[in-house]
Amino acid sequence: MEKTKIFTYAGTVLKNLFRKPATIQYPFQPADYPERMRGHIEIDIEDCISCGLCMRACPSSALKVDRKAGTWEINRFDCVQCGYCVSVCPKKCLMMKKGYTAPETGKSWETYKKPEQPKTEPSAAAGGKPAMDPEKCVYCTLCAKKCPQGAIEVDRKEKTWKLDSEKCVECGLCASSCPKKAIEMKG
Amino acid sequence: MAKRSIVPFGPQHPVLPEPVHLDLVLEDETVVGAIPSIGFIHRGLEKLVEKKDFKQYVYIAERVCGICSVGHGMGYCESVEHIMGVEVPARADYLRTIWMELSRLHSHLLWLGLLADAMGFESLFMDSWRIREKVLSMFEKTTGSRLILSVTCVGGVLKDMDSSMLKEILYTVEELRKDMKPIIDTFLNDYTVQSRLKGLGVMTREQAIAAGAVGPMLRGSGEPYDVRALGYAAYKDLTFEPVIATSGDAYARCEVRLKEILQSLDLLREAIEKIPEGPISIPVKGNPSGEYFMRIEQPRGEAIYYVKGNGTKFLDRFRLRTPTTSNIPPMVDMLKGCQLADVPVLILTIDPCVSCTER
Amino acid sequence: MDDRNEIRKITMAEFFPIIVRMKEENWRLVQICAVSVDDGKRYEMSYSFCNDEDYHMITLRIEIDENEEIASITQLYPCAFIQENEAAELFGVKIVHINMDYQNKLYRIDTEAPFKKKG
Repeated sequence: MEKTKIFTYAGTVLKNLFRKPATIQYPFQPADYPERMRGHIEIDIEDCISCGLCMRACPSSALKVDRKAGTWEINRFDCVQCGYCVSVCPKKCLMMKKGYTAPETGKSWETYKKPEQPKTEPSAAAGGKPAMDPEKCVYCTLCAKKCPQGAIEVDRKEKTWKLDSEKCVECGLCASSCPKKAIEMKG
Repeated sequence: MAKRSIVPFGPQHPVLPEPVHLDLVLEDETVVGAIPSIGFIHRGLEKLVEKKDFKQYVYIAERVCGICSVGHGMGYCESVEHIMGVEVPARADYLRTIWMELSRLHSHLLWLGLLADAMGFESLFMDSWRIREKVLSMFEKTTGSRLILSVTCVGGVLKDMDSSMLKEILYTVEELRKDMKPIIDTFLNDYTVQSRLKGLGVMTREQAIAAGAVGPMLRGSGEPYDVRALGYAAYKDLTFEPVIATSGDAYARCEVRLKEILQSLDLLREAIEKIPEGPISIPVKGNPSGEYFMRIEQPRGEAIYYVKGNGTKFLDRFRLRTPTTSNIPPMVDMLKGCQLADVPVLILTIDPCVSCTER
Repeated sequence: MDDRNEIRKITMAEFFPIIVRMKEENWRLVQICAVSVDDGKRYEMSYSFCNDEDYHMITLRIEIDENEEIASITQLYPCAFIQENEAAELFGVKIVHINMDYQNKLYRIDTEAPFKKKG
C-alpha cells in the first residue's frame, strides 16, 4: 500500500478553503452542553441532613460540612468534578449540573446554609431515628461500620446495640445495610 | 576528532507539551549521547494511596494523567477486583472496553497531530485535532466529561449507555473511518512526511526487546506483543490481532499507530454489536487483601498496575509503571547517531507522557 | 482470564544467576517495584520480566533489610536505570553501582526517601 506521492494533502487544503470553520464563535454563539455533562455541583440544601459523607468521600477535600451550624461549603476551584459525592449522598440531594464555574482571580468557599426548621415538626423524609428489633438482630456490627457518624455501638459478645441519638443524623444507611432487616427508622 | 559540545534540550521546548529535560552530547551536528532527566512535576500520587481509601483512590488514579486517564482507572479497578475476587458484569466489561478504545482513538489522533506539528505540517495537525474533537464529544455525551471520565468504579462502571448512544458511537465510527482516509494517505504516502520519517531512529527487534521498549515502539520493530491479546475486560470475545510494522524506524511507529486507529474502529463496531444486556456494576463488600500485577495495553504501550492490600480500606502500595517510563531508555539509545534537527521528531515518536512517568 | 502471571520468591544468592539466565533467554525487563514493609525496616523488591512470545510474566521477589545493599542490574539490563534510581530515591533502597546514578537528583525533591514507611 506504500508509495510516494506529492500534493497528497492539496485536495483537503482546497476543501478547507470553502468549508465552514470547524470551531464555533464562542462566546457569541453559546456552547452546546450534553445532558450528562459534569460541570458543577448543586445542592438541595433543604434535604441535606449534614451527615458529612460527601466531605469524607471527596478526593480533593473541596467540601466542608458543619453539622452544628447546618452549613455545606464547597470550594469550586478545588473540586475536580469527579461526582463521587453525588454517588455517596444518602439523601440524593447533591446533583451534577451542566455549565462550568466562572473564572475568578482567587479560590473561594461558597457557603449554603440550611433554613431553620421548627423543632417540633419531625422531618418526614428521614423517618426518624433507627430502632433495632432484638429478635431479628444477629449483632453482625455492619450497621456500626456503615454509620457515617459512628453513632452506633455494637458488641458482639455482650449482645448489646447502643445508639447515640445526639450523633445520629437519621440518614438511614444502617437500616438499608442491615442483612436481617432488623433496623427500622421510627419517629 | 570533532569538537564535542553539550546542548540542553527542554524542559521547555516548543515540541514538548510537558517538561522533560535532555542533555544532548553533540559531535558537530550528530548526537552521540543523551542524558534524560525528569522530576519537574513529581506529585507523589503513589504515596497518596495510604491516605485515601481504595474506592476513593480510583478518582486519583484517573487523574495521574489526562490523556491516559481511562486506562489508569480501568487498570487500577481491575487489579483491585482481581485481589478481591470480584467478577464484573459482562456489560460493564464491554462498556469499559468501548471507552478504552475511544480513548486509544483520541490519544493516537492527538499524537498524530503533535507529530505533524513537530514536522512543521500545521494544516495536518489542525485536521487531526479536528477529527479528535468528535471522539471527545462522544466522551462528553456518554460520561459527562471530555477527558477524565470518572465512570469506572471498583465492581463495574457508574454510567450506562442506552441504545441511542451506542448508535451514535457507531455513526461516529463510520464518520471517523471516512475522515481518516486523507490523513492516513498523507502520513503514509506523502513525499515530505516520508522524507522526515523514513530511516530515522532505526531500532531492530533485538534492540527493542533488550532496551525494554513497549507499545508501538516494540510493535514498530516487528514484535507482535500487545497485552490486549491476554483477553482482559471484553477483549476475550473480540477478534484481535496485534498490528506490527517491520522497518523499526519513525515511519514504522507512525504506521503502527495509524493502523491501530483503524483496528480500534473495528473493535468498537464489534463491541457495540456484541454488547450484552444486564447490570453494570455489582456491590463490593470487604477490603482488599493480597497483591497482584495487572497488565493492560494503554495507547502508549503496556502499563503495569501493582496493588498490595493489607485487609484494611487503605492499600499498602500502589505502583504504576507507565509506558513512557519503559520507553525512555530506548529513546536514549535511538537518539545516538541522529542529527540534532531530528531530535524533536524522534522524541515524539515514543509518544512521551511525562505526567504519567512522574506520577 | 488466563493471566500467565506468577510471583517467584528468591534469595540474595540466587538473584544474579537468575537475572543472567533471564537475559540469556531474552526476557524483557518490565518493571522494578520497591515496597517498604515492616514499618520501613525491610524492603520487598520485585523485578518483573516478560516473555513476549507467550505473554508469560515472572516477578522475582527478593526481601532485603533496611541497610542491606543490593547490586544494580544495569550491567545486564541497561534500561533499568530509571526505575532503580526511582526506588533508591523515593524509598531509600541501597542500590549500588547503578550505571548512571542520579545521586538522588532524579526527582528533584527535598525530602529524603519520602515513600519509605516511618516506623
